[in-house]
Amino acid sequence: MAQMPALIPKEVEIQRLKKIWLIVIAMGSTAASVEVDNFVDGSLHQTSIRDSAFTPAHWWLYSHFVALPLGWGSAAIYDRKVPVLRGPNNSMNTGLKMTILGYLATMFTIGVNEMWHFWFVEEIFAVPNHWMFNMGVVVAFMGALAYVVRVYARLVELGAETPGENPYVAEMYKMALEGKLYSRSIP
Amino acid sequence: MTLPKGFGSGGGGGSSSADVERMIGRRVENMTGMITISYWAALLATFGGTAAGYFYYPWAYPTASGHFAFIVLAIIEAIGYIFCVKVMEEGSNKNSNGIVGGSIAATVAFVIFVTMFVGR
Repeated sequence: MAQMPALIPKEVEIQRLKKIWLIVIAMGSTAASVEVDNFVDGSLHQTSIRDSAFTPAHWWLYSHFVALPLGWGSAAIYDRKVPVLRGPNNSMNTGLKMTILGYLATMFTIGVNEMWHFWFVEEIFAVPNHWMFNMGVVVAFMGALAYVVRVYARLVELGAETPGENPYVAEMYKMALEGKLYSRSIP
Repeated sequence: MTLPKGFGSGGGGGSSSADVERMIGRRVENMTGMITISYWAALLATFGGTAAGYFYYPWAYPTASGHFAFIVLAIIEAIGYIFCVKVMEEGSNKNSNGIVGGSIAATVAFVIFVTMFVGR
């Protein structure tokens, strides 16, 4: 981190990081909304067992599973303007890659899920067609966390944000600024 | 500092404040209007979604459930809206507390109105 040279003026980088931050907050709200719908959908399935792809809980869940990879994709497009966020070999940031792939997996699983329920009219949480919903979301959350921490740590490094007052958090920022907190594979 | 192609004084490598401004485009502290419009669009879309649920699928999504979902989502969206505006304006001379406060107050009134008078 700290050894990464600045390739664009500091003020430009802060503004661009904050524009990325806008997308991050929007995507965070969307992900929180998906978690709420997990409860709504689960509640509905306990009442009506298997319904159709087009009940309100599914509109909510599925539309967000389409919006999330597209939204993070827009973050990836804009992310190219911030050199410090580039991934290995000048590719896309590793956290962003994981996030987009994770949410794409959930998007793909919508189709798998509907095909499964064409034959098996049940709604048991643990059946295999539901696995990838959860695995995709977990991968996406891990990637998003890595990316968000990276963006925030860079804002701290540029002096645009003040590290937390909690001594444990402050120690984490200190290590981050010394380049000791993260794996080199997630630059 | 060396700037990307198209910026600067042509080979000199020097950057002026005009170049920096041109690279930035619209500054984030001036985006409050756009953020507010986006927030209201999201809130109205959320209302539309839950209303479609309890008007067209009352067997699956009774009004009380729709209202509960709308309240929770409105809170999530309001928190995101406040974060967006406050983070974008920190460190600048801009202050949109009035707009944000008014917007949140209007949201509270709208949510209470919907939960009391809209549904079946």
